[in-house]
Amino acid sequence: MSDMMKTADLMDRILADGKIVKYSYTVSESEKQEINILNGDFKLMRTVFNNVASLKVFSGNRMGSVNGNDITEEGLRKLAADGIAAAESSPEDECYDIAPDQGRDVFRQGTEQADLDRFAERIREFLDTVAKDYPTVRITAIFASFDKWHWVSRNTNSTEFEGFGGQYGLDIEMCAVEGDTTTGLDYTNVTVDSLERPLIETGSIRTHLESVRDSIHPETLEGKFEGTVIITPWMAAEFIEMLIDNYAANEVVMNGTSLWLDKVGEQVASGLLTVGLKPYDERIVSGERGTSDGYRSEDVTLIDRGVLKAHLLNLYASKKTGRPVVKNTGFDLVVDNGDTPLADMIASVDRGLLLGGFSGGDPGTNGEFSGVAKNSFLIENGKVKCAVTETMVNGNLGELVKNIRAVSRETCCDGNMVLPYLAADGVIVSGK
Amino acid sequence: MLQDIIGTKTALFSDKGQTVLRGHENRNRRVVLLKGNMVQNSRSEGRGISARVNLDGLFGFASIAEYTPDAAEKVLRAATENARFLSRHTDRKMILPPCLGTGTVPLNRDVVDTEQQRIIEACRQMDRYIEAHYPKLTSRTIVYTEDSMDKIIYASDAYCGHVTVPRCYIYVMLDAESDAGVPVELFKPFGGYGSFADHFSNVEVYYPELDKLYRQLMDKREGVYAEAGYKTVVLGGNMGGMLAHEAVGHTVEADLVDGGSVAGPNLNKRVASDLVTMVDFAHTYNGETAPLPVYLDDEGTRAEDAELIRNGILTGYMNDRESAERYHMVPKGNARAWSFSDEPVIRMRNTCILPGTSTVEEMIASVNDGYYLIDSGNGQADLTGEFMFGVTCGYEIKNGKLGRALLDTTVTGVAFDMLKTVDMVSDEVEWASSGFCGKKQPMPVGMGGPHMRCKIMIGGR
Repeated sequence: MSDMMKTADLMDRILADGKIVKYSYTVSESEKQEINILNGDFKLMRTVFNNVASLKVFSGNRMGSVNGNDITEEGLRKLAADGIAAAESSPEDECYDIAPDQGRDVFRQGTEQADLDRFAERIREFLDTVAKDYPTVRITAIFASFDKWHWVSRNTNSTEFEGFGGQYGLDIEMCAVEGDTTTGLDYTNVTVDSLERPLIETGSIRTHLESVRDSIHPETLEGKFEGTVIITPWMAAEFIEMLIDNYAANEVVMNGTSLWLDKVGEQVASGLLTVGLKPYDERIVSGERGTSDGYRSEDVTLIDRGVLKAHLLNLYASKKTGRPVVKNTGFDLVVDNGDTPLADMIASVDRGLLLGGFSGGDPGTNGEFSGVAKNSFLIENGKVKCAVTETMVNGNLGELVKNIRAVSRETCCDGNMVLPYLAADGVIVSGK
Repeated sequence: MLQDIIGTKTALFSDKGQTVLRGHENRNRRVVLLKGNMVQNSRSEGRGISARVNLDGLFGFASIAEYTPDAAEKVLRAATENARFLSRHTDRKMILPPCLGTGTVPLNRDVVDTEQQRIIEACRQMDRYIEAHYPKLTSRTIVYTEDSMDKIIYASDAYCGHVTVPRCYIYVMLDAESDAGVPVELFKPFGGYGSFADHFSNVEVYYPELDKLYRQLMDKREGVYAEAGYKTVVLGGNMGGMLAHEAVGHTVEADLVDGGSVAGPNLNKRVASDLVTMVDFAHTYNGETAPLPVYLDDEGTRAEDAELIRNGILTGYMNDRESAERYHMVPKGNARAWSFSDEPVIRMRNTCILPGTSTVEEMIASVNDGYYLIDSGNGQADLTGEFMFGVTCGYEIKNGKLGRALLDTTVTGVAFDMLKTVDMVSDEVEWASSGFCGKKQPMPVGMGGPHMRCKIMIGGR
């Protein structure tokens, strides 16, 4: 890999030549080695050598942003010229800005050296173990990659961050097959910084394999009922992301449609729920280190025991609304675990679902959600009874988090986020 | 536009395998106005070269973010090394698919750039109209988005060519509140294949459609929840297109058939009523350019239409060269890649259920108690054909007439079951082309459908 500091110095000279007095940029170089497994065997090996230069140019109270992957001098000069043109075409807005000086820092994350032969052996071991332990499960695809990067981020307020890193990632698609009968697809992913452990023992892979194995003969529910859903950690991540987007993110706060617009400091969820974005949590392999505004990233708690602590606002939205900026633009989600064993949570449910997947329309700003329960199981009288098909769940995101009645002791840590199981009442479950 | 600097490197192609060398550029332009504030004003460009080498059925692929003759040589070497790396870890071998002809596909159209200032002004003009004419909005968002693919393709034993897919859209999102303070929203994209000047030289032509969107939003302010259950519905053309793409199209992509999709055991069997015929069009529909035309795919296959269902019988899959050989079919140009760094994957192009003979008015009049479902926000389906579409715009049908508007809901079903309930099909097709299909990589796709009367599961309170 080449020297990104030299590229950054070149960028500074080009911007100085253009008499740009306010800007921020990131230049990066990355390399991906990706083994593609389709239907249980190796099929394609992909290498990507990539560069990215992202530049924000300010012209008075105007701003334009440009991206490109040509980091030669000619390419950077064109990028700068495009950035200037974009900024000059912008309307004036005094809220366009970059973070104040954050000093200098160098970040090293993950592992910077790949062992691809060892990686391929671990994948082969994984496929063999699945064939032995889960004979009805078909691994339809694995995208197994090693990603390595080096980036430099600077702005005219004197901040300079440099990052080096590398990680192994695994995206797995699977289904179960018996004769002509097939389950739907289930997905899981995991990020690790070493190959010490067999891949099948990382993240929640075994839980997914067991779930899809047990889904081969699903049943259709009749009628509808209001019940309890136990939301799996990977689904809880999706629901919390939807919750933040609809109630606490830049757009809904700026346009005033958030139903939590004036709820900071108030109880908006069950006292059992604590939600944070924690890039420095040791279970997160490569958390965010610098925000898109140029701040040094910080761990933040958005919901503390049910109380909304902050809206998730970037610098522009902060200045636009007069509310505090949050120095975190990643999504390194960490939800605190509770003290209830998952088995006890299931035993406490009279009728409901263990929700392993949700295929639904994007909720509107009112938080209403409606969709199909995927990879899910009916719970009756405290026991998991059967897999379900053609079963819909309906509810409201805001009400859902208020109705959380238990949080599991167990968590799922996949290298990207950490979450427990959540049990919530008041969800409408309907069958045919 | 890309200049051809890679053609001379075909001399380096190995005669022991099949090789495709591709120069590739993506451009994006984006402007976002939120309540009149410009929250995004960006331009991006990425280009590079890739090579894919097939040695004994193992694929090596390599790409680099440089557009130089040296980069072409580098990716050819790296792709070959990658295929050899795989051969150390598997015994998998495969006979290479046969050559089905060679030649050159001509450039279909240029990618034309537009000054950012013109884009911003068009967005602001539309925003000013909305602000001035729609008093009951709580918020409004205008999103201009433009993306294009520009590719130069050389294949060792297939077609070569220079092809482009430019497209641009303005999305309008309107927000309001019910009298009880409950937020409701609707959105609509305008635009299509081509460049800014093809669609947005005069944005006033879209004002009637904006007025209609506002009226629908006002209806939705007083909307009701659908009654959950198995209902008779009239699906609008956009919903029909979503069904064609998500619920059927994905299950008949040959790589997903390999994975165990429901289409595997159903080839040449009835999967829909007689009224349903479905085709993945390459570049021409009904004598006119299809919404997002594809003339040459990224394996060098010249694009042709792929018939999937004829009069209710499943007749074919969408293939790449390798899967076509395995299923004894002919590849029709479905292997596509989004960026220079992406390998070709089996993808849809312009997937459409063909029109029938009924009118929309007849169809609505025929429903005693059901729903008219007009627009969808998103959709998903899986290997079993079980699908889900979010419904953002719809109305009750009572005694053959439209009733109250619906609040957001979701419909679901199993495609090959649900399509057998189709008993009326309208005489016109509606196309949508603004979205991306996600399957490892994003991909612009067109999807089209007529109105269809059928039975479907609908979610609600």
